[in-house]
Amino acid sequence: MIKPAFIRVVDCELDEPLTVEMVADAVGARPLLLERLIRRGLLDTINEESGVPLLPARSIIRLRRMRRLRRDLGVNFAGASIILDLVERIDQLNRELAGMRHRFED
Amino acid sequence: MATKTIDYYGVLNVGRSATEDQIKAAYRKLARKFHPDLNPGDKAAEERFKELQEAYDVLSDKEKRKLYDQYGENWRGVQQGGGAPPGWEGFRARGEGAPTGGFDFGGFDFRDFRSGAGGAGGFDIFEELFGRAGGGARGGRARRSRRGQDIEAELELSLEEAHRGGRRTLQMQTAEICQTCQGAGATVGNQICQTCRGAGQTLKPKTIEVNIPAGVRDGSTVRLAGQGGAGVEGAQAGDLYLHVRLRPDPVFNVRGDDLEVEIRLAPWEAVLGAKIEVPTLEGRVEMTIPAGARSDQRLRLRGQGLNKQRGGRGDVYVRLKVVTPREVNGEERRLYEELRRVSRFNPRAGSRRTKGAAR
Repeated sequence: MIKPAFIRVVDCELDEPLTVEMVADAVGARPLLLERLIRRGLLDTINEESGVPLLPARSIIRLRRMRRLRRDLGVNFAGASIILDLVERIDQLNRELAGMRHRFED
Repeated sequence: MATKTIDYYGVLNVGRSATEDQIKAAYRKLARKFHPDLNPGDKAAEERFKELQEAYDVLSDKEKRKLYDQYGENWRGVQQGGGAPPGWEGFRARGEGAPTGGFDFGGFDFRDFRSGAGGAGGFDIFEELFGRAGGGARGGRARRSRRGQDIEAELELSLEEAHRGGRRTLQMQTAEICQTCQGAGATVGNQICQTCRGAGQTLKPKTIEVNIPAGVRDGSTVRLAGQGGAGVEGAQAGDLYLHVRLRPDPVFNVRGDDLEVEIRLAPWEAVLGAKIEVPTLEGRVEMTIPAGARSDQRLRLRGQGLNKQRGGRGDVYVRLKVVTPREVNGEERRLYEELRRVSRFNPRAGSRRTKGAAR
């Protein structure tokens, strides 16, 4: 009983600026928490002329990861933030390594 | 949830008499190692983590642990008051190739076991961490917290697929409340439900079609709104996030929007210049190599690179590499010797100690 459903890529623009409220809504958090994280420099903001901080859509992914790390490993948000940065760097290095290996084997 | 039985104490590597603190410490220790957010794309780690979570879910809960100690693997079947179904359904993406082939779609779901527990309605991890401190807010907030779970999965694409985009079929497993036992995991006589083996849920295959936008890149993410876990009671469904990974290409190296390809030249081609065929994404094209070409020199084919997401294309860079023949026949040898005699070229003249060509 497989029912194929056609879906569209609704949004693949992860740099799209969103308001703090929109991001908070997407992750089910309170805007207050997000504002706190922004003040502590744990979320990168897009600064608009208006002076109201906006968050890129990719913050949604980042917030969810931070929350999982907090929940499962007991780290605080600052720690989770560092972890995610490091994982990203390792990931990048691994990719470069894989690419180089690949070329080397030819 | 789990369909196979596992030894929860073994999974956490603790003795049966371990204290709550010891169990927590053991869980944390292993979670640090196998957490999917720390091991992106590692399916083995992901599986381990799921087991860990399940084991911890049971052993960290006094009631459940007691039942597990008493009844072993059948503990779910004897759960008291099993009327409360897991309040919601989850999603499970499986690492199986889609019918279209060339696809690897594996993911993890973070519907956590803890949230499914508890009495009627259960509680939600969102609320636990972010929500109502004193049972306050309702309405919008309460509804929001019932939003379906988001799912992240990895999508492996060839260079070609990322370049052109297009429609792909993906298969995934969705968890639904078991129809036989209505999610209780047990039948009336406290027997384990045969359909779901006590899990309260059954897995159903689901096929979705995804439009890959042209010009996605390694590490970019495609969000499919509303394709995550279903929400409870008609609430908004979660989203599906596909993290794109590019399979290494045998021909091209990817550098942003540009591609790089290595082309080997014979010494005389480098010296005299040549017309050679070079690969592009659209097939082979003829390229003129100027006389006096050097190794590591880069020639640009403008606009032959990857599609950019906002239109336009990157370039292809052809990196030249002069190679010498390993073996030469008599005539060739004679010509090389002749060359040695007449040539005034000295590759070491004026060379500094640095090696090779600079970029």
